[in-house]
Amino acid sequence: MLIALRDITKVYRVGVEEVHALRGVSLSIGSNEMVAIMGSSGSGKSTLMNVLGCLDRPTGGDYLLDGRTVSAMGAGELAAVRNEKIGFVFQSFELLPRQTALQNVELPLIYARGAGWGRSRRRRALEALERVGLANRVTHRPNQLSGGQRQRVAIARAILNRPAILLADEPTGNLDSATTAEILGLFRQLHREGQTIIIVTHEDEVAAHCQRIVRLRDGRILSDLPVREDSAGRLVDEVEARLAATAAAKAAAC
Amino acid sequence: MLNPIFWIQAIGLALSQIWANKTRSFLTTLGIIVGVASVTAVIAALIGLKTKVLTEFESFGANRVFVFPSRPNNAPRNLYPWERIRLTSTDVTAIAENCPSLRAITPVTEIGLSVESNRERLETVNAVGIWPDWHEVERRAVIAGRPFSKVDIDNARQVCLVNESAVAELGLPNDPTGEHLLLGGRRFLVVGMVETLQASIFGRSVQQSEIFIPFSLAEKLQERNFFMRITALTRSPELADEAKSEIRYTLRRTRGLEAGEPDTFQIEAIDQYITQFKALAAGITAIAGGIVGISLLVGGIGIMNIMLVSVSERTREIGLRKAVGATPAAILMQFLLEAVTLCLVGGFIGVAIGQLFAFALAKLPQAQLEQAEVPPWAVLMSFAFCAVVGVVFGMFPAIKASRLDPIDALRHE
Repeated sequence: MLIALRDITKVYRVGVEEVHALRGVSLSIGSNEMVAIMGSSGSGKSTLMNVLGCLDRPTGGDYLLDGRTVSAMGAGELAAVRNEKIGFVFQSFELLPRQTALQNVELPLIYARGAGWGRSRRRRALEALERVGLANRVTHRPNQLSGGQRQRVAIARAILNRPAILLADEPTGNLDSATTAEILGLFRQLHREGQTIIIVTHEDEVAAHCQRIVRLRDGRILSDLPVREDSAGRLVDEVEARLAATAAAKAAAC
Repeated sequence: MLNPIFWIQAIGLALSQIWANKTRSFLTTLGIIVGVASVTAVIAALIGLKTKVLTEFESFGANRVFVFPSRPNNAPRNLYPWERIRLTSTDVTAIAENCPSLRAITPVTEIGLSVESNRERLETVNAVGIWPDWHEVERRAVIAGRPFSKVDIDNARQVCLVNESAVAELGLPNDPTGEHLLLGGRRFLVVGMVETLQASIFGRSVQQSEIFIPFSLAEKLQERNFFMRITALTRSPELADEAKSEIRYTLRRTRGLEAGEPDTFQIEAIDQYITQFKALAAGITAIAGGIVGISLLVGGIGIMNIMLVSVSERTREIGLRKAVGATPAAILMQFLLEAVTLCLVGGFIGVAIGQLFAFALAKLPQAQLEQAEVPPWAVLMSFAFCAVVGVVFGMFPAIKASRLDPIDALRHE
């Protein structure tokens, strides 16, 4: 298993009160799966994402990522794991405003151990931009790009180090429906190319693009089903139809 | 740990941050600029003053050093007989060869001799045995003819120099070069004339006739254990102490004095003026240092303030950097480097302004500081200080940034 969570708990202390954000979550995710994590706000899905992304350490339980026990690591080691194994995509893109698309994509390499020099670094960043279809926007700055393009830059940055997991937190929360379909199409393409993807979302329509849906409530797993057996499954055909329509429209436009 | 790309990127980022907030950066570094500009200007002024004062001191011989034989205090006479403590030509040669702080050196020995020219005869005249360096040491130039040459000294030739009084007293022509004198019954060729010392500030006025002969010859004309002293000139009045210790070391080694044995000679330098000036300069430096310290402190607080603002403005950026793998150490370094860069930019402007002040001082006729200039060490020191201020005052904001929790930072509005 790529990811193995065993009985993960997370307790926050807010003032004198203890908030149990996760109350024993056990979850396994294999290589090249595309999983949606769903739940209403307060369900613990953000906390779970933070734990999965090694941004936060669980209070209890074990987290094995790619064979290593991440739950026992210190801050420095976690930073290295984030750098090498995890690619983040955020709702608000989080691009550095004064840097070009290429510089934004290169960012993780700055913190990589033993990163290569100039040319190989540039080539990798350009490759990543090509994979997200932005080879012609290399020198643009974020304010010169549309929302969808910004999110593509963020995705290119996330896949630069060929991470074990691509972790997306509400990746389409700030996008209109056409762009949403475009970005989700990109995720599916990356998935076909072998990328393991976890999307945290509260939208059934987004979750319908995944193979598997994990629903949380009150810090526990409510259900963990293949997409067709989940309630969001009824959207799948609709989603496929829309994707096909988008592809056809694009083909016609060309 | 951190790869080279990190450093290049961090420096580039720091510069672009400063450039993006030009006005803010300039106002922030104003304290540093003022501090560095004033310290450079003060150092330049002090250097101008020092050069001027030292030149003035040199003109009345403040850089002369004297060596005498001296019996150690309370030492029994039989342990330190005259033969053992007297200076010799071996001593003076050793000093001349081994003391780099000295510019010129001459042995001096005096003999009373009778002198006879074609017209006049003087019963006793002071004949002084010297090396050619004597003229430089005593600041008494040869005004006609030539000084002694190496050949004169090496071969103890019977040549002499006379002073203006002697020319008058002996009825020699105005240019006495080529005349002959009988000195103690020997025939000497006059090769030149030395100016008569007008009046020295050390109260020695030389009006009587003087005759100078090569030291090697004076050595031959005297009995075995004659008295001689050594007068030397240091390269600069400041070097008196160094010159003293060099001479002391050389003489002790030449004389084979064991450790613990007292010196059998005495070295004197007229350095009290220098000591006074140094105390004055130290006072000025301390006051200037205090002012600079205060402005650097104020400047440093400004830097800290602006770095704190920068950290809170860029909280999300910090969160993102942490998410993509920046360790706390990398974040710390980035912000520290930014503070240091900011300070160095301020230092650079400050040094430039200080340099302008120095030029102005040198040009200003009332200031009389023609030699005012900013020495390279002051520039280096200024930059070092700026870097230290950057590290010290940038540390707290940088630590704050490095400790930010990535989750909170990314959620920050």
